[in-house]
Amino acid sequence: MFTLPETRFDFGGDEYIYAEISRDMSEESNFKALAITSELRRRQIPGILDICPSNSSYLIRFDPEVIPAANLLDYLKEIDMTKSNPAALNLEVRIVEIPIWYDDPITREYSRRFQERNIIKENISNFELVMKLNGFKEKEAFIEAHSRSPYLISMMGFIPGTAWEYPLGLRKDQIIQTPKYASPRTDTPGRAVGLGGAFTVIYPLSAPGSYQLIGMAAVPVFDQSGKLEDLRDSFFLARPGDIWKHRPVEEREYKQILSQVEAGTYRYRMKYVDFSPEEYFAKREAYIKQVMEDF
Amino acid sequence: MLRIRDGGLQTLVQDMGRKEFYHLGVPPSGAADKYSYVLGNILLGNPHDYAALEITLLGPVIEFCKRTVIAITGAPCEVRLNEQPVPMWESLVIQEGDMLAFRMTTQGVKTYLCVSGGIQVPDVLGCKSTYVLSQLGGFHGRKLQAGDEVQIGEPLPGVFHQVGRRIPDEYIPAFSNEMDIRVVVGLSSYRLSDEGIKTFLNSEWQVGLESNNIAYRYTGATVSFKPFDPPFGAGNNSSNVVDIVYPIGAIMVPNEKELILLLRDATTGGGFVTIGTAINADLDLIAQSRPNTKTRFLAVTVDQAIEARLSKKRKILAVQELLR
Repeated sequence: MFTLPETRFDFGGDEYIYAEISRDMSEESNFKALAITSELRRRQIPGILDICPSNSSYLIRFDPEVIPAANLLDYLKEIDMTKSNPAALNLEVRIVEIPIWYDDPITREYSRRFQERNIIKENISNFELVMKLNGFKEKEAFIEAHSRSPYLISMMGFIPGTAWEYPLGLRKDQIIQTPKYASPRTDTPGRAVGLGGAFTVIYPLSAPGSYQLIGMAAVPVFDQSGKLEDLRDSFFLARPGDIWKHRPVEEREYKQILSQVEAGTYRYRMKYVDFSPEEYFAKREAYIKQVMEDF
Repeated sequence: MLRIRDGGLQTLVQDMGRKEFYHLGVPPSGAADKYSYVLGNILLGNPHDYAALEITLLGPVIEFCKRTVIAITGAPCEVRLNEQPVPMWESLVIQEGDMLAFRMTTQGVKTYLCVSGGIQVPDVLGCKSTYVLSQLGGFHGRKLQAGDEVQIGEPLPGVFHQVGRRIPDEYIPAFSNEMDIRVVVGLSSYRLSDEGIKTFLNSEWQVGLESNNIAYRYTGATVSFKPFDPPFGAGNNSSNVVDIVYPIGAIMVPNEKELILLLRDATTGGGFVTIGTAINADLDLIAQSRPNTKTRFLAVTVDQAIEARLSKKRKILAVQELLR
């Protein structure tokens, strides 16, 4: 269906095999990572401990006392060649709406506080910086560009609940991109929306970070309190392969949603769909439109 | 029950750590120096993975509200039981009302207090380990403070007959301010110049002050990147890659003057170039190294890494056999 360069395998110490599908980010690489890791998960191989799909690679942790490292490497190489076709991949995914207050005072304050660590010392907010680097003149146009496309959850990691979001249905030249901080911030507010490279992330809790902050999500992406019905079975909102849609909100609605979350009455706007990477690659934007219909 | 009179610098409930949630960004946590921790449990006849208290640098003061047996292992530390010094690496009987006071560790970083029957806190995501950054697991997801009351298990059958058992000296780890850490070079080491890899392996690095359970930081030499067109999606710095899930032990190179080695509370994914992975058998040693420890990184093969792992495991089994 499409061709990818040969996956490069490497050992990470005595417990990990790192498989680099491509050095560039691409939807093809990510769907291949999903296809292979779900096949591996299905096989329930004794001695494989963690199966982690990531943006354009995947990482496997194993117990070398149960499964010899060289044997596992050969096994993975074979799966990588024979089971890498995302055409066979049909994902039951959730589309989840994420309300975002863009260019808000909280992330503006953090931009100011950590200015010294950023790539330029100019006194502008991260939001303004990303706008400028991507040639936007109007705030509204930037917000529209960041919230129009749905985003694919292409990886989880960093701290519990953090999900990498990559825009679907866009050409590479249409994707908003930005360099990360030159030296990481020592703090980021929980629920802050960050941009780094071609990815968007929402910080689950306050943490160090190096992504440029452009807004605040009104809803948590990680919660272990059990107060929200949709986060009761799992603490984590994201699942690799899911689709998130950003919806811009103003201060008033942001605060309304926050108080609903606080009271435990908030329900995420969500839709379950079957997503076929094969159809997506065949029809691209038209397929996205179809999947996102009435959402 | 343990009544905490003083929490010390950072006293945490830890066990073998979390499994099966790494793909959701949950690091394993768990005892930083597994060898010392497991030997403490072996002294008591506990299962290896019973939860213990992990003490960092400055220890707590603890009142015991139950007669039991304990063992203290890990970084050398002056410990007093009702004002009298007590030995480490030995099982000790504790009477109800006894006061156990830890001072500063004199070498190393992590000291373990194991209790017969284990520390009892609820399991979160499958274990009792504390992950402070997300306030997950352990005792309410945080370090112990004065006033906390921590439940302990009932002393296991026969444990009072085992009081006075001691780990033979040759099995007690050495704590030093100079160390060699074995590394399997790889991951995205292709982004460093040949000269850069040589400098990494041939230089003496120093543990930085801001090192902690998440990561150890090293400075002291300068490595160099290859000239490289940044891959699409990575961001445009020469130390950036398209974000990956990192192995525990991965050594990141955020800039030419700094190394960041991920430990048990690692940020599990990110977009920095990684030069290789410290072998599992040496993670205990790293977690026990104090700021300014002189560190050299030695390249080993995967087979050598596995051999080191097995020889460490054999050592633990030998101790268990000796104490049976």
